[in-house]
Amino acid sequence: MEYDKILEDLLGRKEFLVVGKSIIRTDALDKALGRARFTSDYIQPGTVVVKEVYSTHPHALIKRVDTSAALKVPGVLAVYTGADVPGMNQIGYAIPDQPFLCDEKVHFIGDPIAIVCAEDEYAAQEARDAVVVDYDPLPANLTIDETLAKGAVHIHEGGNIAIESRIRKGDVEKGFSEAKVEIEETYETPYQDHAYIEPDVAYAVPEGAGKVTVIGAMQSPFLVREKVADVLGWKLNQVRVIQALTGGAFGGKDDTGPLVSAKAAMAAVKLGRPAALVYDRFEVTAYTPKRFPSRIHLRTGVDKDGMLTATKVDIKLDCGAFANRAPYWLWRQTVHATGPYEVPNVHVDGTAVYTNKVFGGSYRGFGDLAVHFAVDSHMDRLANELGMDPVELRLRNVLTVGKRTASDQLLDHSVGIEECIRGVAEASDWAKIREPRRNGSKVRGVGIGTAHHGISTSRGAPDWSAASVILNEDGSFTYRTSICELGQGTPIGHAKIVAEIVGAKMEAFHIEIPDTDTMANARPTHGSRGLTLGGTAAADAALKLRGQMVNIAAILFECEKDRVDLRDSVASCKDDASKTISFKELAREMYIRGANPAAYGFFTPPRRFFDPETGLGVSYPAYTFAATACEVEVDLETGQVEILKIWPAMDVGKAIDPLLIDGQIHGAISHGIGIALMESIRLDAGEVVNPNLTDYVIPSSMDTPEVAESILVEKPYRHSAFGAKGVGEPAIISIVPAISNAIYHATGVSFNTIPITAERLHAALRRGDR
Amino acid sequence: MNLIPDLEVHRPVSLGEALKQMEAPGAKPLAGGTDLIIDLREGACEARTLVDLTRVKELDYIRESEGMIRIGAMTHHTDLMTSGLIKTKAPVLSEAASLVGSVQIRNLGTVGGNICNASPGADTATPLLALGAEATLSSSGGVRTIPLGEFFAGPKRTSLDTGELLTELSFPTPPTGSGGAFQKLGRRKGCTLSLINIAACVELDGDTCSEVRVAVGACAPTPVRITDVEEMLKGKKVDEAVIDEVSSACYGLVQPSQRAHSRASEEYRREMSCVLMRRALTTALERARGNK
Amino acid sequence: MNVKFVLNGKDIEVEAPGNRALLDLLRDDLGVKSVKKGCENGECGACTVLLDGAPVTSCLVLVPQVEGRAVTTVDGLEDDPFMVKLRQAFLEDGAIQCGFCTPGMLISSYALLKENPKPTADEVKKAIEGNLCRCTGYVAIIKAILHASEMI
Repeated sequence: MEYDKILEDLLGRKEFLVVGKSIIRTDALDKALGRARFTSDYIQPGTVVVKEVYSTHPHALIKRVDTSAALKVPGVLAVYTGADVPGMNQIGYAIPDQPFLCDEKVHFIGDPIAIVCAEDEYAAQEARDAVVVDYDPLPANLTIDETLAKGAVHIHEGGNIAIESRIRKGDVEKGFSEAKVEIEETYETPYQDHAYIEPDVAYAVPEGAGKVTVIGAMQSPFLVREKVADVLGWKLNQVRVIQALTGGAFGGKDDTGPLVSAKAAMAAVKLGRPAALVYDRFEVTAYTPKRFPSRIHLRTGVDKDGMLTATKVDIKLDCGAFANRAPYWLWRQTVHATGPYEVPNVHVDGTAVYTNKVFGGSYRGFGDLAVHFAVDSHMDRLANELGMDPVELRLRNVLTVGKRTASDQLLDHSVGIEECIRGVAEASDWAKIREPRRNGSKVRGVGIGTAHHGISTSRGAPDWSAASVILNEDGSFTYRTSICELGQGTPIGHAKIVAEIVGAKMEAFHIEIPDTDTMANARPTHGSRGLTLGGTAAADAALKLRGQMVNIAAILFECEKDRVDLRDSVASCKDDASKTISFKELAREMYIRGANPAAYGFFTPPRRFFDPETGLGVSYPAYTFAATACEVEVDLETGQVEILKIWPAMDVGKAIDPLLIDGQIHGAISHGIGIALMESIRLDAGEVVNPNLTDYVIPSSMDTPEVAESILVEKPYRHSAFGAKGVGEPAIISIVPAISNAIYHATGVSFNTIPITAERLHAALRRGDR
Repeated sequence: MNLIPDLEVHRPVSLGEALKQMEAPGAKPLAGGTDLIIDLREGACEARTLVDLTRVKELDYIRESEGMIRIGAMTHHTDLMTSGLIKTKAPVLSEAASLVGSVQIRNLGTVGGNICNASPGADTATPLLALGAEATLSSSGGVRTIPLGEFFAGPKRTSLDTGELLTELSFPTPPTGSGGAFQKLGRRKGCTLSLINIAACVELDGDTCSEVRVAVGACAPTPVRITDVEEMLKGKKVDEAVIDEVSSACYGLVQPSQRAHSRASEEYRREMSCVLMRRALTTALERARGNK
Repeated sequence: MNVKFVLNGKDIEVEAPGNRALLDLLRDDLGVKSVKKGCENGECGACTVLLDGAPVTSCLVLVPQVEGRAVTTVDGLEDDPFMVKLRQAFLEDGAIQCGFCTPGMLISSYALLKENPKPTADEVKKAIEGNLCRCTGYVAIIKAILHASEMI
């Protein structure tokens, strides 16, 4: 591809104009002034208030829904049920198992049955309370074991298993026979909540008889468009979806975006008035999709030289009521099941099962977080048995160029995990701080955690992205991507890539918010693909536009195209300093001469092949890698764990903006501390009992540790813009085992479950768990 | 859904006016609202007539007179935290106030509100109990003063009569040779509820403990003094062995909730009562020794 | 009820029912969208405003309670010299990601620096313990506040 050659040329530059330099985010000032608009900020007075009527049973048939009393509440405009859905009453993501508004049965406490539409919140609340649902309760399966038990009631037709996965590589029994040490453990992770600060929201405005615009918090505008059109029974071009600046998402709004938007849209279209659905914190915490709970059974063998010989993994994934992202989650767990280590013999069985609880969905780190918690905690146990240092054991087995992943994918380039491990070991002075340090009732320990995380979608499924750039008459640029700004700064990263390639100043750029009416589909903002795929589509657009600009400049300068230089929003001739024009002048010339001032960019990674029978093949186009070292201090009397210091390292491919990268790493550290030590959604008979930020505890400022300078390893991915790889997820994955291993080092207690709360650690110490 | 129900809000500017308004059936005082507004939003409070005490300035004071420190019920946690008088003479209380919620909560919340909300884990309750505080309750009909311990009737229940307002908390100025300490265990380091808290105040006469009051929060239906521990210490020469002994005894003396979804298990709270008691007593005694 | 107060330095008079939260008055009745709604429980701090110069969570304040008092949001501090420097530090140090916690965070930070122009890192952390951020991990925010205190 010609692009590769230009990319090589670009990467070969000795000095970049903007790539690699930290800039002030282009959207930061508005946010600091309080002028940046999030979805709720667009809602006008007089907008219909939409609220949902939720199931109060975990599993039941719906005999009757009586809306008559609700309709009599003053200020109530309508109450809609499944029967009122104009299009498809189905909104399942991967599997069509999820009704939009339940009409036959309910599958979890929180399953939506109806939407009420009213003039104000109080009327909506009263109406919601006045809807009477006659249930015929069914037995509820509340655990993995209950739902797999013989004779268990079926939650969906076809049984309680949503999806299965497998890997068969080599011969594990032979591998175990070669092992000197074999350890078998089961690791469990709970439901956890994204706890983004902005609650889910969508604001729908009907335009004429056959069009609706939805502004909302989401991660995939085109997915939202598709689902809204499905529910309305409309064509795609009748639905316009705009992603407003979103106050944190972490995967959660990938799932809630379509659900919330479709309800607001249905109300708006039916009533012919703008309608908004705004979640309160209770709804966010109790009813929106969560991190999937999982149970991972590992049996791993290692030989006398510390080389892993075999691993046998059984993964049970608890989907909750609907499969939703389960296939992707489970497949990811399956193909990452060895951790970032080469294991010649791998046997994995994965089963995702339905239970009558809130369902799982996308969440930063995906199933790789649970897998690496399990595998890296397991590595420390193996190291302990072998009498080997945990870093040493990892280095002996770590993936490098030329080695193969769990699914036997050969890694032929862009593998920086070894450098990450060595980097944090050195930065933390590993050998020295491995000496246990006790001070009264407190003891310090250190641990290391790692991550590898495939970019984009799983197992050979085609992935692609698109973007467009327009050079305006005054030399300013309009950049369009439907990759969403969620706080992570990815669209800004794209704009930098474009700016670098076309030689423009960053100030010349305006990044439009995603709008399905005017933009190409960049596909979702998840799977760490926003920069790698989205940014490469941006680069493609930029290269094309650059070509168009260079063509005209060459004509104007009367020189060869390769003598044209573009930088700082000025075009000049390398051989003649007098030949120089501003981009404003160049743009004008382009417009007059009919040269295309815009470009559409497209990128698809090379085709991958995957065998579903064996689970072997090229799982992902590229992987990000991370390693984190962590020092903790445990108060042995209370079980409290204080994170003293974190040393993070990541293979980012190419650092487009170090400040944005640090932002991701630091955020992941805090979020990871919560996941490792504080956070779990607790349920009683299928009801969430801690549905607020008081009792779903996330880290505050005072829980912030000292964080060492990020070690950024650059192993460019040859098919992406400047070689960049996504950075949002590996840090959160690697910190969780870093913490659990540090606690293991400090106390001798190796945890098989998170969160490691003070109470749990104290109880384990009391019991003498080692 | 989180909606505040319709309310009738009275806004007196004097205590007299407030007490008159408190006579209305079902009237409830509103101070900082950090508990009440949440309760109203969650449907946990049935009152629909509020007497907003924000403008009753005469209830906002911290003063010392005739050997008593007197704190008006509308004193904000921020003021307790920063008051020179409290920090010097009763630091156990300013310490506890500094650990209530966050800056925002401390700026809104009042000690009166904290006490009247009567959460078993209220952070200012245990120090006040340990300081031997009394509660002054006023109504249009008169004023009465009761030991703070008698004010708490159960989880989020007080012994306020209809029409009564808590107007003042008072305790004897701790003498020289006394020291106090507050220990709190939460689920994270910042802005957190107490899973358990303990306050201890001791007075030393030479090496002997002449006076001791200890209180525990979130380990009983109300904040409560542990009189058994006090009896074990009073009049004794307190050394590490004694501290160990009384601390271990806490395990059996506290009565934490056995509810399934309590914020901490009964076992953990029992264990932690021992740990926090030892730490609180140790620090209180150190401070007492340093306060001659 | 009729309530007179000062909003961002301007006298203002509103009619509001007794159960109106200051947060909703500001956002929905007065169009002050910089104040954000995150939890309505006083936990997240996104709704933080200054009440007589002290940071409070406006979701817990009833409109009648602000009679005769001064409410300040970031809108009213735009040109304030301390805020200008604080804001610049936030921008330079990467203390803003999604931006939803930012106005509340700035209010709490501003109040800290007005009272304590040279805080320690621990004092900074304590001052913002009631402002939850899920994006930045607080590191850049703490750095920015300390940086601003050097500039002031």
